[in-house]
Amino acid sequence: MEIIVILGVIALIAVFFVAQYNRLIRLNISVNEAWAQIEVQLKRRADLIPNLVETVKGYAKHEQSTFDAVVTARAKATTATTVADTAAADGMLTQALRGLLAVAEAYPDLKASANFMSLQEELATTENKVAFSRQFYNDNVRSLNTAVKTVPTNFFAGFAKVTEREFYEVEDPQDRKAPNVKF
Amino acid sequence: MNFRTAQAANRRKTIGLLIGMGVLVWLVAFAALTYFGQSTTAIVPIAVGIALVSVWGSYYGSDKLVLTMTGAKLIQESDNPKLFNLIQEVTIASGLPMPKVAIVIDSAPNAFATGRNQEHALIAFTTGILDVMDRDQLQGVIAHEMAHVANRDTLVSAVAATTAGAIAILSDMLTRMMWFGGGRSRDRDNNANPLALVFSLLILILAPLAAMLLKSAISRKRESLADATAVAFTRNPAGLRSALEVLAQDSTVVRQKSNSIAHIWIESPLDAKAVSKLFSTHPPIQERIAVLKAMESLN
Repeated sequence: MEIIVILGVIALIAVFFVAQYNRLIRLNISVNEAWAQIEVQLKRRADLIPNLVETVKGYAKHEQSTFDAVVTARAKATTATTVADTAAADGMLTQALRGLLAVAEAYPDLKASANFMSLQEELATTENKVAFSRQFYNDNVRSLNTAVKTVPTNFFAGFAKVTEREFYEVEDPQDRKAPNVKF
Repeated sequence: MNFRTAQAANRRKTIGLLIGMGVLVWLVAFAALTYFGQSTTAIVPIAVGIALVSVWGSYYGSDKLVLTMTGAKLIQESDNPKLFNLIQEVTIASGLPMPKVAIVIDSAPNAFATGRNQEHALIAFTTGILDVMDRDQLQGVIAHEMAHVANRDTLVSAVAATTAGAIAILSDMLTRMMWFGGGRSRDRDNNANPLALVFSLLILILAPLAAMLLKSAISRKRESLADATAVAFTRNPAGLRSALEVLAQDSTVVRQKSNSIAHIWIESPLDAKAVSKLFSTHPPIQERIAVLKAMESLN
């Protein structure tokens, strides 16, 4: 009788251990998957840029500095590997693209062209997809980091070789700009 | 109230209501036993069985069944790339798999989601909603539909329908037995308290009504939960809020008015005046707008 009770308790403890371990591994995999999604979306955006630049160039030849900014930012974004580098390059590229679209505003012929209009929808959805994949990644990092730091999962983190992960933080000067108040 | 507390509150209330359903089934079984005696013991499993079989089929094949009931047509990415772009955005934000997409040819703006699980999800839009809404508004609507998928609302409403159905069948069977003076006469010598008999009778008569009320209340809580979850996906309450404002201003309703699937649309297709608030499958649209506005002011 006692043996059964003891075995039962051991089995329960084992189940508990396995559950904690698996939870950490699962959270870690989710973060990896979310990261892969960011890379997919950034790649999509990088692929879109040459076409966009060419289209704008056709109508606005004298905006070389804007084109250069986009091309440099794109080059940086495609070579970055760490989370922080990718995030920084991503922020720069977002900025440069905003500049390019602002330039396009000044050319009505360009804005009316069918090619540009379809590119604009592509760019809008790509920007959203990039933003949502960042958000999804950060949500997953948040749950992983919470699990790594809180009882009881924190006791298993070392054993499962799961550590805290880095958030994907994009520097966006527009976010910090104080709102203009006019009276 | 931010979207996280809103989600938690609505989940809690759903669980409370489902427990209420369970208690109601138990009450009806208890009343049947008190009123008719032991001969009715087998009736409860029979009623639950019938309800389970009838609801389970429609739950399992919900994606196909609803397609035929609403006349929705499945579409491919090439048919509407912009809509697919928007849906892909929401799948990335939610981490859900890509659902099947369908269109209902109807000028009334509306949308719905169904499917037994996340892998068999189907979301559908009327041509009307695609015409009148801009990018942000549509994104809000899609997020609301994908929130139903994420929260497994087809399952929740199937459970609610099963219990409500079982209660309806049960009380129907028992009323017939009463009519034909069934079991009661055989157990006449049981010394049941007359007060208990009156209570049992009351329970048997009122239970189907109570079950309907609980079912509608669950549906309303799931709608509020889907609104909150949609905000969790897009972090943009303004998009869904202005979409709901468009729906509120629009007085046209989807042509088919099948009661049985009214709960799946984003805006109730039933005429608002015809349904009283307690039986309504959706919370009042102005209330939903107010909750989303409160979330906006947090940002």
